[in-house]
Amino acid sequence: MKRISIDPITRLEGHGKVEIFLDEQGNVANTYLQVPELRGFEQFCVGRRAEDMPTITDRICGVCPEAHHLAATKALDELFAVEPPPAAKKVRELFYMAFFVTDHTTHFYALGGPDFILGPDAPPQTRNILGVVKKVGLEVGKQVIECRARNHEMIKKLGGRGIHPVAGMPGGWSKSVSEEERKEIEEAARKNLEFALFSLKVFDSLVVSNSAYLDLVLSDVYHHRTYYMGTVDAQNRANFYDGTIRVVDPEGNEFLKYRPSEYTEHIAEHVESWSYLKFPYLRKLGWKGFVDGLESGVYCATPLSRLNVSDSLATARAQQEFDRFYATFGRKKVNGRYQPVHHRLATHWARLIELLYAAERMLELALDPEITSPNVRAIPQKVAGVGVGSVEAPRGTLIHHYTSDEKGIIKTVNLVVGTTNNHAAIAMSIRKVAEKLIHGAGVVEEGVLNRIEMAFRLYDPCMSCATHSLPGAMPLIVNLRDSQGGLLRSFQRGG
Amino acid sequence: MLTDDSVGIQVVRQLAERLKDCLDITTLQCYAGGISLMEAMSGYEKAIIIDAILTRYGKPGTIYSLTPSDLRQSKNVHSTHDANLGVALELGRMLGLPLPKQVKIWAVEAQDVETFSEALTEQVERAVPSVVGQVLRELRETGPIPGEQP
Repeated sequence: MKRISIDPITRLEGHGKVEIFLDEQGNVANTYLQVPELRGFEQFCVGRRAEDMPTITDRICGVCPEAHHLAATKALDELFAVEPPPAAKKVRELFYMAFFVTDHTTHFYALGGPDFILGPDAPPQTRNILGVVKKVGLEVGKQVIECRARNHEMIKKLGGRGIHPVAGMPGGWSKSVSEEERKEIEEAARKNLEFALFSLKVFDSLVVSNSAYLDLVLSDVYHHRTYYMGTVDAQNRANFYDGTIRVVDPEGNEFLKYRPSEYTEHIAEHVESWSYLKFPYLRKLGWKGFVDGLESGVYCATPLSRLNVSDSLATARAQQEFDRFYATFGRKKVNGRYQPVHHRLATHWARLIELLYAAERMLELALDPEITSPNVRAIPQKVAGVGVGSVEAPRGTLIHHYTSDEKGIIKTVNLVVGTTNNHAAIAMSIRKVAEKLIHGAGVVEEGVLNRIEMAFRLYDPCMSCATHSLPGAMPLIVNLRDSQGGLLRSFQRGG
Repeated sequence: MLTDDSVGIQVVRQLAERLKDCLDITTLQCYAGGISLMEAMSGYEKAIIIDAILTRYGKPGTIYSLTPSDLRQSKNVHSTHDANLGVALELGRMLGLPLPKQVKIWAVEAQDVETFSEALTEQVERAVPSVVGQVLRELRETGPIPGEQP
């Protein structure tokens, strides 16, 4: 095989790239995932006041500002050594559940859904939300838009402003919830619950009951046995706002449990010459390469991971779906918990179960008598100088880590965004699909390239932290190259 | 705050100041695209979007005047996250949302969109007054601000 060296300084022109190199026989030799490197974030933040971080970092990402806002706020709780009152934590979580509902809904109908609802062989122009609406009906499209609108309204009421929340502060939240607002939020939560149940029915009738799609989900092409990471509460149930980070092995046994502040003890970063990307892995196991298995330090953090690390879910209907999910994949309980599902396309289903949990949890919190408490702020008394805040972002465990001087001026900043956890898993998923579907010279069809892109898309990667194109998120290009590096085909989202 | 990525924000800040007495005009700093951008336009007769752009051979500071159909030909409109602007607008129309009959885009060729900074690079900075002027001229010529001084 001809070795092709890739200049890692190559500019990516504002795109993420998957480069697939074929050998002389036309089989896949190597695959590379590249994302533009963003520079200077730490310098940008150093010297600023720590309490500005929630409103600075929520501008990193136009897609999930709420996640950054909360992770930053929680980092400040530690940095200022202040414990928020229980009502403040509930208001923060309520705010966050509204966001989760919007985000997961949008992903399913605009991005993940098209793969199944239209099918991987459908022409690219139809494989988007328009195609979904044409197939499932205008009413569904209206419901998606309404779901977004009502939750954005709730987020604005709870977060203090549209698009970029401002309410997070060390020790609590800047505003409490009035009874009038609480009633509106309750109503929104009920509508969310209906829509979540409906979306699961759509998935069931169009995917689970469709043998061709179920075969696709169950196929070996999208199957990886790795470690899984998520955040759980004291009863080992998934919690997106707060808890302990738990990692399970490919057989479902608990491997690690740690507080977010201990993350550097457990996670290390691997570097490859062909990419700016860091590849986090489990320190205890070490980096063994882009490989599956019990001995490999590769892990992923996705909706599928969050179900795999949970013993159960904290809300009733989501729990029912959880049981049904594992039963469908024939997973049995060992030592009281389900063995993991390794079929990566099942992440789309897991996302809908999370959507249901978020809707139920939002309703629970809206009905909690403490939610309208005026006591949502504890005033910081000192500066501890270091803080780690972690939440489950829709696309993985998110960590904000700050240090400051004694006046609360930022000295260092480290962020591990959700998608970063998945860099190795994404590279492996892409590679496996490419290897299995591309053989020999000859025309590579649209359907094959789409199936490769599906391997990337299921992780709902947030490359929005990279360059912004007009729609506000970074596009992905898949380049297929021959053994000389010459371009054979170039494919991108949307065609 | 990715350097030239904030050119749209800088232009809009200046426009907001000039248009503050025009009740028919809303200026908005929007950080997301795709469906969110479409939703922000709902209920208005006309929308003007100002943003940074990266083209293969473009010279930083160059100003382009575009419409959404121009973007369909460009590479830089795909969102891995929800939908590109063209698709989002079509979705909105399909669902009967009250979208603007006219959408115009001013795009400024960026030099750097990968470094965190609140400042623009020099050539992009120099384009800002020109874009502000062009947008104001557009608003004067096609309504709704008769008699506004450039």
